Amino acid sequence: MRDPATDGRSALQALIERTLGKPVGITAVQQLSGGASSATYLVEADAGRFIFQRDAAAAEGDRGISRATQARVQTRAAALGVPVARVLATTEASDDLGDGVLTAFVAGEALAPRWLKLPDYAAARAKLTAQCAEALARLHAAPASHWADLPLKGGSGADLLDDMFRWYRRIGVDVPAFDLAFAWLKPRMPTERPTCLSHGDFRAGNLLVDTNGLAAAIDWELTHLSVPAEDLGWLCVQAWRFGQWQLPVGGFGTREALLAAYRAAGGTVQPQELHIWEVYGNLKWGMSCLQLADDHVSGRVPSVERAAIGRRVSEVAADLTYLLAFGDL
Amino acid sequence: MSHPTAIELLQAVQLFLKEAEGALSGRLAFHARVAANSLAIVQRELAQDPDAAEAQALAPFGGVSALCTALRDGGIDPQDPALLKAIRQAALARLATDNPRYATFARLQERDIA
Repeated sequence: MRDPATDGRSALQALIERTLGKPVGITAVQQLSGGASSATYLVEADAGRFIFQRDAAAAEGDRGISRATQARVQTRAAALGVPVARVLATTEASDDLGDGVLTAFVAGEALAPRWLKLPDYAAARAKLTAQCAEALARLHAAPASHWADLPLKGGSGADLLDDMFRWYRRIGVDVPAFDLAFAWLKPRMPTERPTCLSHGDFRAGNLLVDTNGLAAAIDWELTHLSVPAEDLGWLCVQAWRFGQWQLPVGGFGTREALLAAYRAAGGTVQPQELHIWEVYGNLKWGMSCLQLADDHVSGRVPSVERAAIGRRVSEVAADLTYLLAFGDL
Repeated sequence: MSHPTAIELLQAVQLFLKEAEGALSGRLAFHARVAANSLAIVQRELAQDPDAAEAQALAPFGGVSALCTALRDGGIDPQDPALLKAIRQAALARLATDNPRYATFARLQERDIA
């Protein structure tokens, strides 16, 4: 697999030329982020700016959906009125660039700690709760059958919890607050079949924000079939508030405002449902911490960062205990 | 007693990592900071022994392993206030080592469980 910033630059150029149907000159390729699972590049060309995203060179474990499926989901989400970056193309094996997707560039701040704190974004933050609620209500308004032709995972809330519990036992450690949360959630998770598409990772870190608020929802790799409350609960997880814990919705809004705006946009989620999925979301983040630590401890991916994240399990244990003892956080 | 002590060695390495962080950039600088934070956890763990504190907090429920098994088997009510208090004490003991500046640490300590 070639690196789009170095030996793969000509392949990236060919991909853009194929997409636009004309010769293109690339002036710069800059890697914006390199997470554990994917890497994102800003491409500057005479034909404009583009974003290229692909699996990281050393991607580990069970990734989300393929970029081809992701591209189709994003295109359909855009048609439903959800703000997303416009999909232009996906890679082919012969490009040797990995499983990647090319989208239009959307201007905006991707670093949540910046747009959550900088005064420049105060007006944006004031609008953001309603904008997120509207975006999710539009996405969730399409029935599960709208996505039936795509290879997407999913299941009832009870199924998702079962999967997560098996994951917990595969890692094999004992975290009392996690078992408390599993036991509390077990009789409460909905057993109904999925009714809609869940973005799957709709949180502050995956929102592109400009001075008018929500510019685009990014990172659709974990999208799956579920029920509406899953996305809303995930947006309220403590870890995505970046220290702004007084504002449970992503560090910028209240639950009441989120549910009211979601209702005004045509959706329905009850406060108790949101609470259940918020507990589920915090537990899921805690499982990710356990997994990252296990990647290091097992020797699969030796990394000081992953080892250290293992100790964030204690933060999640405290958050779950607080949520279950007091009903909010 | 060894001279310097284990704590003093840890502190020396933390100082070095802080210096290294200033000379590094990007991912390596970030990892130097993560490494220094990890050594701060080790220091607190040596002073506090959170394993023992957790075991003590959960002893009325048979200890960590027995309690987790009981919760998995449905043998205990997850809303039992005595259980919530014990798990809170155990969670606080761990967080006191891992990240005492975390906002939920103070909040969880201050509020009474009915």
